[in-house]
Amino acid sequence: MSSLVAEAVQAEIGAYEPWPDNACLYQPYQVEQITFPDYATCLSVKTFLHMCSLDFHTELRINAEEMSPSGKVPFIHVGAFLVAELDPIIAFVNTRGFHLSRELNESERSEMRAYMALIENILVNAELYLAWVDETVSEEITKPRYGYVHPWPLNRLLPWQKQRSMKARLKSISWSNKTIDEVCEEVKTCCQALSEKLDNKQYFFGTRPTELDALVFGHLYTILTTRLPVSRFAVIVEGFSNLAAFCKRVEENFYKKFGREY
Amino acid sequence: KVQRVIIDGLGRTKDDLIIQQVQPIFQADNFEEMVMLSQEVKIKLQRLQLFKHIEIYIDTSKGSKSSVPNGYEVKFNVKETRRFTGETKVTIGSNNPELLFGLKMPNVFGRGERVQVNYGQGVNHVRDFGLNFMKPMYANPDVLFGCGIHQYNGEYPWSGYRELDRALNFNITFPSILGIHTLKWEGVWRDLRSLSRVTSFAVREQSGHSVKSSLKHDFVRDTRDNKVLPTVGSWIRVSQEYAGLGGNVEFAKQDIEFQFNQSLLYDTVLQFSGAFGIMRSLNLKNEIRINDRFFLGGPLTLRGFNIKGVGPHSDGDALGADAYWLLAAHLYTPLPFRPGKGGFGDHFRTHFFANAGNLSNISLNNHIRENVMKLGEMFRWAYGCGIVLNFMSMFRFELNYVVPVRLQRGDSANPGLQFGIGVEFL
Repeated sequence: MSSLVAEAVQAEIGAYEPWPDNACLYQPYQVEQITFPDYATCLSVKTFLHMCSLDFHTELRINAEEMSPSGKVPFIHVGAFLVAELDPIIAFVNTRGFHLSRELNESERSEMRAYMALIENILVNAELYLAWVDETVSEEITKPRYGYVHPWPLNRLLPWQKQRSMKARLKSISWSNKTIDEVCEEVKTCCQALSEKLDNKQYFFGTRPTELDALVFGHLYTILTTRLPVSRFAVIVEGFSNLAAFCKRVEENFYKKFGREY
Repeated sequence: KVQRVIIDGLGRTKDDLIIQQVQPIFQADNFEEMVMLSQEVKIKLQRLQLFKHIEIYIDTSKGSKSSVPNGYEVKFNVKETRRFTGETKVTIGSNNPELLFGLKMPNVFGRGERVQVNYGQGVNHVRDFGLNFMKPMYANPDVLFGCGIHQYNGEYPWSGYRELDRALNFNITFPSILGIHTLKWEGVWRDLRSLSRVTSFAVREQSGHSVKSSLKHDFVRDTRDNKVLPTVGSWIRVSQEYAGLGGNVEFAKQDIEFQFNQSLLYDTVLQFSGAFGIMRSLNLKNEIRINDRFFLGGPLTLRGFNIKGVGPHSDGDALGADAYWLLAAHLYTPLPFRPGKGGFGDHFRTHFFANAGNLSNISLNNHIRENVMKLGEMFRWAYGCGIVLNFMSMFRFELNYVVPVRLQRGDSANPGLQFGIGVEFL
């Protein structure tokens, strides 16, 4: 059997197993190592799992990125399964019978997918731009953090290699040539769309959180709270008061109330 | 008396080197000694790999310059090697055949230095690329200084990972009364990744980058008459490795391998061989990584088990361990009824063997005696017989029928027919 088919069969069979007690999420070290784009995705996944009321504990590993089956963090280890990145994790959790967007109708669900794609295309790339392409931030913050856990000469080589691959990735979608002003404009447009969608509601689709809420919280909270030499993104997000309030609400309801770490 | 020594045909070889080499000839007192010394010089020059061709002519010295009546002239006609030579060859390392393309530059700067560039491809997606420089020190072909860079990319399916190594090394080889020593410093950047989604988690946890900066000492003493099918002589290799001068890998490793051969009546040979290794991590926080551990099992080492099939396993992936031992006894006889005697058949032998060994982790908390007892108790062993082919004195092919007698849980045994190919064997 080809490995893709084998995985699909495995996932189907595993769908009948209950969520185990020892589910684990792996990510790089929070204080010294993780870069803020990775922190945003890890926070999105953690928030999503909390919103589903699924228990897990967090394992911090230096080599989390290399351990991951897809090369990206975070990844979860549930029973015999390894799933990496938010979208596959959402799909995996759905096969186990946990749905956050169960009450949405078809059009709302496709709307949600569209907003999630918007964040993927704009916010994620903007964060990568700020972390790896912007001179100040990459030299002062991102590269030292990325290489901190490795011995010489890897503490210079690996961040440089990573920067090259990130720049190539951004170049392929024509982001690497943008100026920081243009990137800020993109972020502003994205936040505007999100702010309009959120309006005065508690969560994006009413009173119950969905996957979109987890994703938005992960990224906006990171932008608001990461201290960087270039803080223009934070200023933009703070300009939308309902988004800032949204972040506080999610933080209160899913983290502070339970004393969870984030 | 030797009047003159003429070397004809020098190009890039440096004069001072040649002068130093031929000095001994002037000490000759009579004809016999002169011939002998000239031969010795010829052999030494050949070992330095300076020339493709060396011919010696001895003549009486002529001309007005001859002050001595019985003067001789020794003339060396040499032909230097070309600047570049290429080669294609197959090497075999632990059941992994590899096709190597090499570009050699012998005698690069005139004093016997050799530069070699290699590219190899092999089984298990092995890609091997190396650049080596070697120089005989003090015009002595036995004392060599070398350095090189090397990139090796290969898969290790028995453990479920693939590894990319980039290495830089400096080494010195020198002889002593007992044998040949090699001292090496090596710096390696290793990148280990899981081979597939089903790689066991214990191996997946080892993924990532590590830098090993280590000092290694190898001692080899080989008195065998043939490396592949020896009939007499012994071989012993002792090596120590200390990793920790920089990098993030710290351990001390000791490894001993030996082989004794004894010829018996009727062209049979009795062989005892064994190996023993032990290592410990020097950093209490980190245990030894899978790239550095010992593995055991295979058609040329502990027969009866799959490659690296002995020892701790997780989900079918061999994890390796800190210590091992291996003992084997072989009896080689010529093929029954001696077909092809005097020709092809002489390259084959039948052999009967029994081999035993163990691979396990030692716990530093336990007493030495407990560890030794543990290594001694849970051992594995197998016996069998088969046919060995000596391929051009370079490789050894073995086709055996093996009966594993004692296994431990988790081992990957290979009862029945087993085929092995390689250079090193025990």
